[in-house]
Amino acid sequence: MGATVLGALLVVVAAVVLIPFRGQTSTATDALVLMVPVVAAAWIGGRRSALVTAALATVTLEVEFLPPYGTFKLDLFDDAVALVVFAAVALAVGTLVALEGERRELAERRADKIEALYEQQRSLQQEQERLAAEKRALELIGDYRSALLRSVSHDLRTPLATIRAVTSDLQVGADYDDATRKELLDLVVDETERLDRLVTNLLSLSRIEAGSLEPERQAVALDELLSARVRKLNRLLRDVRVQVDVPFTLPLADADYTLVDQVVTNLLENAARHSPSGGLVRVRARAHEQWIEVAVSDHGPGIDPRERDRIFEPFQRGEGSTSSGVGLAICKAIVEAHGGSIAVRATTVEQPSGATFVFTLPVHR
Amino acid sequence: MSNAAKETVLVVEDTPAIARALRAALEARGYRPVLALTGQQGIDAAATSEPAAIILDLGLPDMDGTEVCTRIRGWSDVPIIVLTVDDAENRKVAALDLGADDYVTKPFSTPELLARLRVALRRRRGDPALPADPVLEVGDLVVDVAHHRVSVAGADVDLTPKEFAFLALLARHPGRVLTHRTILQSVWGPEYGTETQYLRVYASQLRKKLHDDPVRPRLVTEPGVGYRLVDPGAHP
Repeated sequence: MGATVLGALLVVVAAVVLIPFRGQTSTATDALVLMVPVVAAAWIGGRRSALVTAALATVTLEVEFLPPYGTFKLDLFDDAVALVVFAAVALAVGTLVALEGERRELAERRADKIEALYEQQRSLQQEQERLAAEKRALELIGDYRSALLRSVSHDLRTPLATIRAVTSDLQVGADYDDATRKELLDLVVDETERLDRLVTNLLSLSRIEAGSLEPERQAVALDELLSARVRKLNRLLRDVRVQVDVPFTLPLADADYTLVDQVVTNLLENAARHSPSGGLVRVRARAHEQWIEVAVSDHGPGIDPRERDRIFEPFQRGEGSTSSGVGLAICKAIVEAHGGSIAVRATTVEQPSGATFVFTLPVHR
Repeated sequence: MSNAAKETVLVVEDTPAIARALRAALEARGYRPVLALTGQQGIDAAATSEPAAIILDLGLPDMDGTEVCTRIRGWSDVPIIVLTVDDAENRKVAALDLGADDYVTKPFSTPELLARLRVALRRRRGDPALPADPVLEVGDLVVDVAHHRVSVAGADVDLTPKEFAFLALLARHPGRVLTHRTILQSVWGPEYGTETQYLRVYASQLRKKLHDDPVRPRLVTEPGVGYRLVDPGAHP
């Protein structure tokens, strides 16, 4: 509607502008100028505005620009032809321009629609990616939980199997000499100690998982801690030779006694498990500026260089190993909670063999 | 018992503590234990030490216990008792189907393991089972194979041919677990093997007809594995 009014208005303006010069301009010029409102109305308003404006322009041309002026009469046959041609051309141009305008509008609408669909698809894709990531995270947690359960059930079952085998046998009063009876009871004691260490590790693991592993730091004399731990593990270490090498000048460590004790216990248990019978297990501590370095080394089969990072991840057992697969992961978590680091290397360098675990703790100031 | 008469029992077990406990228990009962810590050592020892029976842990570090079982069965029919953990149901059945005689679940009671060992050794000394003894006795249950007659405490029991075949098969291996597959193939035919629902139906009919005490049945179900026929009057 607005376009039709605009067309009409333009026709009026064109007429008003041209009328003073109508003696001097040719009919063709008047007709061309009157075509402008038709094109404008068609472009903006479509076919109907084009039709109305074309009719109005034709009437204006006839009345105002073809003599005799101000009447619906025509003097010359040429003017009649010109008027019919103008009407036909105005109609055709108006329709073409209007159609073009409609096509453009349709194309714009389509482009908008495609843009909207594309946006929608992109947000769906993002949502999908987010859900996939969430699923992966949940699967990882699931894997972790089942690895934990597998590990725990395996580790608890092995000592329990020994304890049940021995106690069920002793219960029926099997005829054992004193030495055998003592050997069997020692087995039970060993396995209960193993269970105790395992439970301690599992409790630490749950604290690490919950993010509540906060070392209660104090001044720790490592020489005392190491000797005491070796003494307590005398049964576990009875098949190896243990050497504790700590200078009496070693500064105190700034550490949680119980947690560091657990690291040392795990490393010694590990060393005892992998040492050949009678092999040397060495515990050595040295100070380097602000850090104390503790090394536990064995002469077992050692660890493949490719495996050296992986063994600190939870539930990674060595080939054929009977270990829990959580001990070293706990060592790493505890040492790192103190700001230190832990690594493993070969014990002998020339012909790499054995495993030496080295961890660091800050010096107490 | 003199040293020469001692029967050798091979223990293939990778956990040193359990191996030591078994060694002590076997020595105290007059057996001569031989220990092997890996599957390969176990196979070698089975060939060289001529054991009268083998106790085989299925969870070994170097190879699967069922593989050890297959390899030994390649040349020997020595009784094999497998040690398994609860969650290894299919490996337990696989080992029995591969020729193991019995299984004990960890954590096990040593007296129970020794009772199974005695059953296995009796089987080896006495019958190689199949040249069938015409009259089989398991406690007060008598199965007369030649005349297709069964009695419990002297009273005759009427059985259908399939029920009889099922019971006679178990009675030929008293105290020993037979897997679902073994029973199905022996009683129903070689094309059977997974139709355990048949066995449930027949076992429950047999229990009714034999007047089994539900608390101490003669016909014992080993869930997921098979059945064994025991003398409920005897101590394990």
